Amino acid sequence: MKNIKAFTMPKWGIEMQEGTISEWVVKEGQSFKKGEIIALIETDKISNEVEAEFDGVLRKIVTPSGQTEPVGALLGVFGDTDVPDGEIETFAQSFEAADTGTAVGRNSDSAAPAPVETSVAEAPAPSAPAISDTSFDNLNISPKARELAIELQVDATQISGSGRNGRITYQDVHQASRPDAAVDLGGALPVPADDESIFASPLAKRLAAMNGIDLKGVTGSGARGRIRKEDVFALLPDAGARPQASLAENADNTPQIVEMDKIRKVIAKRLTEAKSTIPHFYIRSDFDVENLLEFRRIGNKVLSTKASLNDYLVKAVGRALVEHPDVNVQVHDDKIHYYPHANVGVAIAAKSGLITPVVKNVDLMDISDISRATTQLIKKANTGKLGFADLEGGTLTISNLGMMGVDQFDAIINPPQGSILAIGGISRVMTEMEDGSGEFRSKLSVAMSCDHRAIDGAAGAKFMATLKSMIEDPELFF
Amino acid sequence: MAELMLREAILQTLFAEMERDENVVVLGEDIVGGMGTEGGPEAIGGIWGTSTGLYDKFGGDRVIDTPISESAIIGAAGGLGLTGKRPVAEIMFADFLGVCMDQIWNQMAKFRYMFGGKTECPAVVRMIYGAGLNAAAQHSQAPHGILTSMPGLKVVMPSTPADAKGLLTTAIRDQDPVIFLEHKALYAEKGEVPEGEYTIPFGHARLAHAGEDVTIVAAGLMVKFATKAAQGLAEQGIGCDVIDLRTTSPLDEEAILDSVENTGRLVVVDESPPRCGLATDIVSLVTNKAYASLKAPPEMVTSPHTPVPFARELEKAYLPSPGKIADAVQRTLAWK
Amino acid sequence: MQISEDALKQAYRQMKTIRMFEERLHDEIMTGEIAGFTHLYAGQEAVAVGVCEHLDYNDTIASTHRGHGHCIAKGCDVRGMMLEIYGRADGICKGKGGSMHIADIEKGMLGANGIVGGGPPIVVGAALAAKLYGDGRLAVAFSGDGACNQGTTFEAMNLAVVTNAPAIFAFENNHYSEHTGVAYAVGSKDIASRAESFGMKAWRVDGCDFFKVYETMGEVVDHVRAGKGPAAVEFDTERFFGHFEGDPQNYRGEGEIARLREERDSIKIFREHAAKNKLVSKKDLDAIDKEVSDLIDKSVEESRAAAPPTAEDVLTDVYIDYI
Repeated sequence: MKNIKAFTMPKWGIEMQEGTISEWVVKEGQSFKKGEIIALIETDKISNEVEAEFDGVLRKIVTPSGQTEPVGALLGVFGDTDVPDGEIETFAQSFEAADTGTAVGRNSDSAAPAPVETSVAEAPAPSAPAISDTSFDNLNISPKARELAIELQVDATQISGSGRNGRITYQDVHQASRPDAAVDLGGALPVPADDESIFASPLAKRLAAMNGIDLKGVTGSGARGRIRKEDVFALLPDAGARPQASLAENADNTPQIVEMDKIRKVIAKRLTEAKSTIPHFYIRSDFDVENLLEFRRIGNKVLSTKASLNDYLVKAVGRALVEHPDVNVQVHDDKIHYYPHANVGVAIAAKSGLITPVVKNVDLMDISDISRATTQLIKKANTGKLGFADLEGGTLTISNLGMMGVDQFDAIINPPQGSILAIGGISRVMTEMEDGSGEFRSKLSVAMSCDHRAIDGAAGAKFMATLKSMIEDPELFF
Repeated sequence: MAELMLREAILQTLFAEMERDENVVVLGEDIVGGMGTEGGPEAIGGIWGTSTGLYDKFGGDRVIDTPISESAIIGAAGGLGLTGKRPVAEIMFADFLGVCMDQIWNQMAKFRYMFGGKTECPAVVRMIYGAGLNAAAQHSQAPHGILTSMPGLKVVMPSTPADAKGLLTTAIRDQDPVIFLEHKALYAEKGEVPEGEYTIPFGHARLAHAGEDVTIVAAGLMVKFATKAAQGLAEQGIGCDVIDLRTTSPLDEEAILDSVENTGRLVVVDESPPRCGLATDIVSLVTNKAYASLKAPPEMVTSPHTPVPFARELEKAYLPSPGKIADAVQRTLAWK
Repeated sequence: MQISEDALKQAYRQMKTIRMFEERLHDEIMTGEIAGFTHLYAGQEAVAVGVCEHLDYNDTIASTHRGHGHCIAKGCDVRGMMLEIYGRADGICKGKGGSMHIADIEKGMLGANGIVGGGPPIVVGAALAAKLYGDGRLAVAFSGDGACNQGTTFEAMNLAVVTNAPAIFAFENNHYSEHTGVAYAVGSKDIASRAESFGMKAWRVDGCDFFKVYETMGEVVDHVRAGKGPAAVEFDTERFFGHFEGDPQNYRGEGEIARLREERDSIKIFREHAAKNKLVSKKDLDAIDKEVSDLIDKSVEESRAAAPPTAEDVLTDVYIDYI
């Protein structure tokens, strides 16, 4: 490189970040002598002349006048006349400005987008050796942290301590033992346009803006009349929405009196009758439904149906009923009606109240039929379109409160039906298997209420036993 | 509205107040510049450009260029204040507080109290502070923490040109001694400034950014960094309240506590070292008064316990930054 | 030098008040009833009175930790001062300042100062204000031979010269800065020459003779009020008590205090001069003695019985208006 020099934006003063060439006094290609003015440069504070420090030629102007460049940027290239243009060009292209960025200037960093890993490790896998008193003998850890680590079985040696010189604190152990944070983020909000003539705290202004309250002319209760959030609350239309200390005292608790509608009257009458006239007795049993659940999963896939668990129960009950004709009955005063096929009622919690439409001849239906039928009935029930035919002829109703979180309950018989089956929840229970090992199995809680006028204890028990064996081995009722 | 640099807003305010009240007197080193030289007065016009032209308009009796003697300057401000004038004294670099500490700490701050409430000293001491321009250890400090701890002083830290004008106007009209801190790296910062005179009350923070997830408290230059961090975080769905304190004494406690009661998370940004500073002051306020609302321990983003270093890379590592603030926000959100 | 008989009697009254105030405090402090540090001015009365008799309420003064004398000479209420030193609610500073921060701005007394060298910078400010008021008022900084070594004093002197401020730097050389002698602590041959080298006119005068002080100060005050710039005066004076009350004064020479009280007692010197030149009658001076004595007695009695401030008073008067 022969005698090529860069002419860069000078730094005049500690604060100068950039400058503008207001005029090139020496033109491109012109030579100049030491002491002559080369260019005029302006900053936001001053305008100054750049004097040549040596004799030379301005071979190339890189930054035209009127353009603003940061300190250190290339403005022009000086070179002897015998330097070929190509070299001047190359020099200009490959010039790198010095990093004159300050901590606060153009090069200051922006927010790092990626969330940061916390420095505390997760608690170790359960297969690590048990943590005891001696596990942390040489560890820089506070007494309380050590105690907590032992109590929670946290391997403190994996924790990077936040205390001085890496000392592990109680807080570090506490954090290491806990599951990851699950934060519900609200996100950014617009900053309300600020009217500085209104003297209110930032939050008060925000609350007012959110609730469409005009604070003009409002005098606040804060120092020097500043409006505070309490003042805004007092201006809100439903000031009663704020929790008040004497809510209980001031609340109006007079009841609203509503007359029962027709359906409710009917239900009330019938169930009162049932409970007071029918001699109920109860048989309770827990069914192992592990196999049924799996059976349903596969069965639904194979048959391309969406039969509910209840639908499977309906099918099983239907089969069991025809095997026990003495339970498949209706009771009318002193007459017993024995049905050849199973009509099983399904209790539905419709909007108007409890209703129990009947699926007819269940024993002759396959699971997809049953599913379709129950779906239909539910729809009709919810749209108030059940007819009398839907409701009569049943011998047993299945009432399922399991999905409501109930363990077990006893239902009231729907006369003239002979019995009702109350299905509770499924729980996971440790069960002893045939080989003596223990396994968690799903257990369904079932309670049958029988009309003792027609069904004896033994009959009911036998029915339940059959039902149990079918449900526990679903292939039996398919 | 006009777009002004912060330094221009200061100059404009000084002109306006000196015009309005003949008792306003300005004093400091090189605020005129060129006194006793061939170049003549106003050869410099103040090294920061915040007093240019005052001497020409108001004369040498009210615009007093002083020798380098901080104790005398600030002491004189105290004396001027006690005897019915409204002095605005400048300390060229806030670090020189060390040279005149007595006149602020033992004299000006305590006159009213020691003299049984019978005196008034409406002095303003403007100090140019802060790091970011590689001015190194003795020309880059931020002494707002020490000054805030002194009873009898009010401490103001504007972050925008509009705030600088309103707060300086209030400071000059205030009857108590006021320390007015101007960040040297904010001097060239531009912003919309309303025309005409207006005041901004002390102890009245500004909400620079709004959100419901984290509260960030900052003052001076740190407000710019905090706002930048908040904007970046908003793109990730994280909403931040950025509270620009404007004055650290008196402090807008309410704005801070109301926000933390809403968000439950606090990050305080302060460009001074961590011990016994503004950040610790605010964290302790919040933990004491809003403990029940906190969902995570409060975080502080401060400079380290070191003097301000010289080299560019070092100073950058020294100062808080939008990135460090965003990291702190994420830490409060990761609390388990 | 012309000074009327009334003015002389007033000057004597002031000097005697200072003397009796300080002597009485010396005794009362022994009882333990008065809290904190007290620094007594007895022996230097001629300076405070000789200066302040040329000033009115528009002129301001700032004092040192040894401020009772300046305070009384400037016209502050003696009763209020005693109450303040006793720390009572009705004290001149509501019990919040005490001996070291005694002040009364209405009388132009900008306060005694617990920081050595704290006063001169403040006085330059007051002088700059005086210049702006433009009515010939001035400001006086009382300093000791201790403060004359403090950087702030030099800064203040230079700033006063450079701004042509109407400030008077009054150096009371009582030969001891705390427990160190002037012969050791002050490197230059005297204090006045320091002021001169800063560019201001300086006078030297015997500080134990009221008449000499008064005459010299007449020149000084005229110079300053005429706008000829700041001035300095070095007074050669003595203090009879220790640096602070409780100071065992082991640094004194044998019989020194007795000799000072005999040969350098400004009250004695005044009386002698007044008698010799038939300026004021002994009878009149004795009557003043009695009145002053009664005033001091009454002040002490009242202060002993007066109510102290309450705990709530701690929080008031920090700001005029905060939040």
